[in-house]
Amino acid sequence: MIALQHYLAVSAVLFSLGMLGILTRRNAVNVLMGVELVLNSANLNLVAFSRFGPGNLQGQLFAVFVIVIAAAEVAVALAIVLTLYRLRRTPNLDEADILRG
Amino acid sequence: MQDVLTSVKWFEPELILTGVLLLVVLVDSTLAAWRNVAARVLTVGGLLLALVRVVELRGVSGEIFSGMAVVDPLASFFKALLIGASLLVILAFTFRNSRELHGLGQGEFYALMLAVTISNVLMATANDLAMLYLALEMVSITSYVMVAYMKGDRMSNEASLKYILFGAVSTGTMLYGLSLLYGLTGNTSLPAIRDFLAAGLTDANRLAVYAIALLVFAGFGFKTAAVPFHFWCPDVYQGAPTPVTAFLSVAPKAAGFAIMMRFFYQGLATPRAGPWDLVGTIDWARVLILVSVLTMTVGNVAALTQTNMKRLLAYSSIAHAGYIMMGVVALSQNGARALMIYLLAYLVMNLGAFLVVTLVHLHEGTFDLRDYPGLYRRSPFLTLAMAVFLLSLMGIPPLVGFMGKLYVFAAIVERGPSYFWYAAVGAVNAAIAAYYYARILKTMIIDTPPAEKPPLRLAFADATWVSLLLAANVLPLLWWARIEASLSLYAGR
Repeated sequence: MIALQHYLAVSAVLFSLGMLGILTRRNAVNVLMGVELVLNSANLNLVAFSRFGPGNLQGQLFAVFVIVIAAAEVAVALAIVLTLYRLRRTPNLDEADILRG
Repeated sequence: MQDVLTSVKWFEPELILTGVLLLVVLVDSTLAAWRNVAARVLTVGGLLLALVRVVELRGVSGEIFSGMAVVDPLASFFKALLIGASLLVILAFTFRNSRELHGLGQGEFYALMLAVTISNVLMATANDLAMLYLALEMVSITSYVMVAYMKGDRMSNEASLKYILFGAVSTGTMLYGLSLLYGLTGNTSLPAIRDFLAAGLTDANRLAVYAIALLVFAGFGFKTAAVPFHFWCPDVYQGAPTPVTAFLSVAPKAAGFAIMMRFFYQGLATPRAGPWDLVGTIDWARVLILVSVLTMTVGNVAALTQTNMKRLLAYSSIAHAGYIMMGVVALSQNGARALMIYLLAYLVMNLGAFLVVTLVHLHEGTFDLRDYPGLYRRSPFLTLAMAVFLLSLMGIPPLVGFMGKLYVFAAIVERGPSYFWYAAVGAVNAAIAAYYYARILKTMIIDTPPAEKPPLRLAFADATWVSLLLAANVLPLLWWARIEASLSLYAGR
């Protein structure tokens, strides 16, 4: 029987993997994948809590909105990555270093 | 049905802004010669109309759209402040006086500006975790685009990329915290969450709420540029077009404080006449004190060595976020009022400083402080204006910046001897800040320029807006009793 704890464990692992990806990857697109993992771990939490918790649908509703926001965020982020790639010919983040001080 | 009808009536300012946003997009897509003027007129008109509607609705109080958002005096104040900030930025900073925006599409800029304004307003009225997250992300996503507005410019795009990555991590962390909060309390509505927490908590759950508060604070900290979520701030402020920087430094920051207050005051505290009660004995104020102290210290110390004006003002705005947070930590009606006064003062002084920086860039093409010597002789008016804005930021009486500091410090000291050290740290920080603000003045007035240059000739509109902001830094003191009384009404619940 799969209980709430299993979902929470998976979501915690997803969150950690996402953060790890964000912190260690050099390629901007890979970092964005990490962001997706973080957002989806929260989604998993919301849906699982809604299913096993108080029986209201607020969590599932919240998750639907999060999916929309995630899509919008990645659309904007990819557009910026693309513009920056046109200007610099590299997707690597540690070469984005003209602003410092 | 009745609920929806009332909600729509109370939601009119937002609806007006949405309608104008759609109109601006339509007008811009006509590609007619008059589209830029039309977009500007529509935007200014729409913002004015929404502002009028907000003022008319100031008396009402209640939840709208089945508790998703709330209309109350606090929300009305922030709505007026946020719409007013957009209006000021659009009127004072134009495509003519910003060298960076020359020749770029104007309609899109106004459309984005309206979109940020709508989401800022929604953020100030959110009463539900879902609404809170949606509004915060909407502000973030539209500001990412605004920062990258100079498409062919590497700095602008790099700033935006850094902004997006920081924003995605912070808001992702916050969302994870919100999902746990929903799991713990079984509800996404802030009042319901407070009721649940007030009913009593086991020790394990109290620990969980601490962890959740920290996770959620990542999002608020990112929006208000509080340490340790401030790293994006200097880079983004430097890379973005200056009008966008000026806007980002006031409006989303104010909205961030609005939502921070709503979350911590309404979700995790119970209002009382004096200091408010913490819900479920979760002492989040202690954590925020630490953040606030770090924020002002890091901001001020890092600003000491900056030579790029935009970067310097970015660090100064981080430091100011630390002072403003004192109003949240005070956790009382006076604290809320102090925060409002500080935000109003910060709006006029910071916009003023950025306007002067923009005008110097328009005429000289530089943001570097080392190119500022000799400005006193070339444009005494601009130097005088900058002096007033900087003295106001410093907190010198009798300017509005001083009133802001006075009220936040008073709200903290009022809480008793255990808070005195905190007020003392704030005062020491204000002294550190005085050094770098004074350094700018010294450069402008005393330092000798390498070569004599002709006087700066300001356009009439620019001079007018500088004078108006100048007046806004000095004149409110004349009617202070009345302003204080009306703000006290808005701070109460």
